[in-house]
Amino acid sequence: MSSTQHVLLSPAELAYLHASLSLTPPIRPDGRSPSQFRPLVAETGILPGTNGSARICFADGTEAIVGVKAEVERTRLAHDFDHNTFAAGSRLEGDFVEGSYAADAQVDAENVNEEQRVGDDDWVELTVEIPGYRDDDPGTVFLARMLGEALLADGEFARKLWINRRFHWKLFLDVILISPPLSYPLPLLSLTTHLALLSTRLPRLKSEGDEDPFFDDDWAAAPFIYSRNSSNSSSSSSSTTKDGKTSTTSRPPISLLVMAVGNNIIFDPSKEELAVADVALAVSVGEAPSAAAARGKDAMDVDTTTQDGLQRNLQILSVRTIDPPSRLTPPGVPNATNSAYGAAAVVASAQKQPEARAAESEAVEGVWKAPRGGARARVMAALVLEVLGRGGVADEVMDALDGVDLV
Amino acid sequence: MPLDTSAYSLALLRVDGRRWNELRRIHAQIRTQAAADGSSYLEMGHTKVMCVVNGPSEPGPRRGGVGGTSAAGSGGGGGQSKDAEVAVSVVVAGFSSVDRKRRGKNDKRILELQSTISSALGASLHTHLFPHSTISISLHVLSLDGSLLAALINAATLACVDAGIPMTDYVAACTAGSTSTYAANDESADPLLDLNHQEEQELPGLTVATLGDSDRVAVLVCESRVQVGRLEGMLAVGVDGCKQVRGIIDRVVRDKGRRMLQEGTVEKGVGLEDMDLD
Amino acid sequence: MPREAEPSLNERQFVLQALQENLRLDSREADRYRPLEVTFGDEYGVAKVSLGKTRVLAKASAEVTVPYADRPLDGVFQIATELSPMASPSFEVNRPTETEVLLSRLLEKTVRRSGALDTESLCLVAGQKCWSVRVDVHVLSHDGNVIDASCFAVVAALRHFRKPDTSIEGGILTVYTPAEREPVPLGWLHSPFCVTWSYFGEEGEMALLDATRAEEQVRVGSCTISLNRHGEICQIAKLGGTPVEAVILLQCTAIALTKVKEFSAYLDKKLAEDIKRRDAGGRSAELTAENDR
Repeated sequence: MSSTQHVLLSPAELAYLHASLSLTPPIRPDGRSPSQFRPLVAETGILPGTNGSARICFADGTEAIVGVKAEVERTRLAHDFDHNTFAAGSRLEGDFVEGSYAADAQVDAENVNEEQRVGDDDWVELTVEIPGYRDDDPGTVFLARMLGEALLADGEFARKLWINRRFHWKLFLDVILISPPLSYPLPLLSLTTHLALLSTRLPRLKSEGDEDPFFDDDWAAAPFIYSRNSSNSSSSSSSTTKDGKTSTTSRPPISLLVMAVGNNIIFDPSKEELAVADVALAVSVGEAPSAAAARGKDAMDVDTTTQDGLQRNLQILSVRTIDPPSRLTPPGVPNATNSAYGAAAVVASAQKQPEARAAESEAVEGVWKAPRGGARARVMAALVLEVLGRGGVADEVMDALDGVDLV
Repeated sequence: MPLDTSAYSLALLRVDGRRWNELRRIHAQIRTQAAADGSSYLEMGHTKVMCVVNGPSEPGPRRGGVGGTSAAGSGGGGGQSKDAEVAVSVVVAGFSSVDRKRRGKNDKRILELQSTISSALGASLHTHLFPHSTISISLHVLSLDGSLLAALINAATLACVDAGIPMTDYVAACTAGSTSTYAANDESADPLLDLNHQEEQELPGLTVATLGDSDRVAVLVCESRVQVGRLEGMLAVGVDGCKQVRGIIDRVVRDKGRRMLQEGTVEKGVGLEDMDLD
Repeated sequence: MPREAEPSLNERQFVLQALQENLRLDSREADRYRPLEVTFGDEYGVAKVSLGKTRVLAKASAEVTVPYADRPLDGVFQIATELSPMASPSFEVNRPTETEVLLSRLLEKTVRRSGALDTESLCLVAGQKCWSVRVDVHVLSHDGNVIDASCFAVVAALRHFRKPDTSIEGGILTVYTPAEREPVPLGWLHSPFCVTWSYFGEEGEMALLDATRAEEQVRVGSCTISLNRHGEICQIAKLGGTPVEAVILLQCTAIALTKVKEFSAYLDKKLAEDIKRRDAGGRSAELTAENDR
């Protein structure tokens, strides 16, 4: 799978598009500003049978659905057996202490757990379905890896799935593209996954310590896997839940598709724009544990992380170059070598082979030529600024996604 | 048998409270997807299916599914070049059933489903009008509670209507079953209409698809052991159910058409507020 | 991928026109099978079936394995089909065509899912040891109606098959060679057979049994009905194609039942003959010994 289905544009059209996109400021075919996104429709909680789900429709009509399912799985015991017995002992202690001390002991036990809670990347399984493509198509596999990689990058996510030393949640993320893959589906799939994870809830744990886990039947009491701040109306169950405490990040990462033409950086490219991209990059942005949250370890119950007014502590998790479809576009033929505009010239140049070849490799103004080479360092630097800066693109997108009601 | 069939004979009510000849709630929409030529969303009880149709278009690079044999395979007509190919791909989402189970695209059951849908619709669509082209139907199963093949066929029919592909008539499908077990030759066994997952597991049943309002059967699939004597009753109930289903999907198409006449051509893609997936 | 050669317009017209006049190319009646022949190999569990020019070979085999974790009390039973280029140039090795997928699904539903073989009897030690029975179906020559021939071959091979006798003493499993103990037949519950109808004409009003390849290529639809002689339907598959009146389908099922009874009787007779042939040495020698005394 190339990064998008082929766009049928003539070399002249490509050259025009490229020229207008490399102006400062660039002029985009649909009149957007370089960092402006197209409107999208999103909703969550569409599938009652899942732990979390979301659906997003982009303006170009592409649509994706993500469903998250969780199952309890036995953790393969790796090393610490002595730890185990020690922990069992401490739990017994905790059981004996009744009443007012119980809460204290609880906190203590959890603090111990805090360091021992280690996640494993195997606990998350992410699959991508693109209609018309095989499961083992390199493009599909690559997409799945990219989405999964960003998600697991900080090692925090897998830790949320920890139940006790013997059991953990296994999370299955099924990412399904409903529409035909008109443009490169990465941003769509990533945003949908983001929303689905935000709406994901795991049943509230009722068992304690290392016993076989059993859970609260009441779905309303189930905590969200990503603890929520008070900005949303549906915060009934958020802050005070016990399991929320481990989260030091409050949001799953997002991956955006960014392209560059000349020195211009263009966000959310349409498939036509992508067809003239010099470089296309997949940028994954995550929220780093904010300083407050890091410090907040001793003050667990205070629901930390970002408040509305506070700035997010964003960081780039990965940048990957995507093979842009522009590489496969047919080149234009400059007049000088076009037989229709003077066969004589062509004949003449044909005799001087080396020169003709030089002319071929040189870019002629206004004649389309498929771009070669990678991203320039300057572009990369500008990109990081644009994405991460205060009120930057990542901030904007996160804010926009905050607006989606979580069911 | 976990399903207590003895309760049925007392009140003549099934596990979900329906009578023998009642369909589950069918809810359908067309034109749900802006990027596709045709699309539909269909619920039969808790079975939820989305369908996207593209084409007829130039045959692209060979698509994944094997189901894409031309109607020529069994639907008559000439070579592949003379008829449009109906390529069907079915994706059963991992989260569709209670226990997460992932089915590969090369699962033979899925391949059989694809081939059945392709051949059933191929006989109704006027494929001879589009030589050298492909009609690709991709189906997504979001939630699974029995009558899968029937729901897929209905959704595909609706999406083909939306895509404006000429066809002779609706292909409407539903399931029918019987309260008897295969061994018992009891004459008192009642036929049942529209099986849910639990009934499908426990009772003999079949899937029927008919063409339009006629009694002509396009698809008949029975996968469980049942006495020959039960077949006639089940088939009759099934064919009758198909007519009811046809009435329902016909109303969906007409309602949409009326709305489009009144409000001008509606933008493709449905506002999420009227989508209500639950 | 090599595609099957389409019949020419002339051929197509010829076959269809003849059918309109109630004539089949081989002058059979509509509900008549071509001569069905089954022969058994010297080994147990090998059945060769020929139906006109269509020939299918099925071979059953068994080995001891570990049962599936989710069904510790059941043995393993699988049917593997292979359509090789030998049968028809349009088939390729390791590349299942639609025909092959549908064939293996049909056999699976007819024989395996209908519970023809008692898989519980294949269990040796619950959750640890069981028999894995496997039938390999090879289509040697494809002249239409591969499904019915294959199904007959599978059932014949399984009923002919004898697995080595075993015993368990003190938790130790012993598998005896044929020389030590006579092999035992499989636990068989019922014999399902497939009957495939092909439909012709605008509205599928014409139904033929046992279509040849030429007829298969011009048919508008087909319906495979699997039954056993007790009148139990194991499976019906009319997978698309031109719609056919429901009444015709019911009639087809009734006729199919009579055909299945014929198949069943024929197979029983053939199996009995084979047993007699195998015993010819053993028991008659015994009898002569008794006479001498």
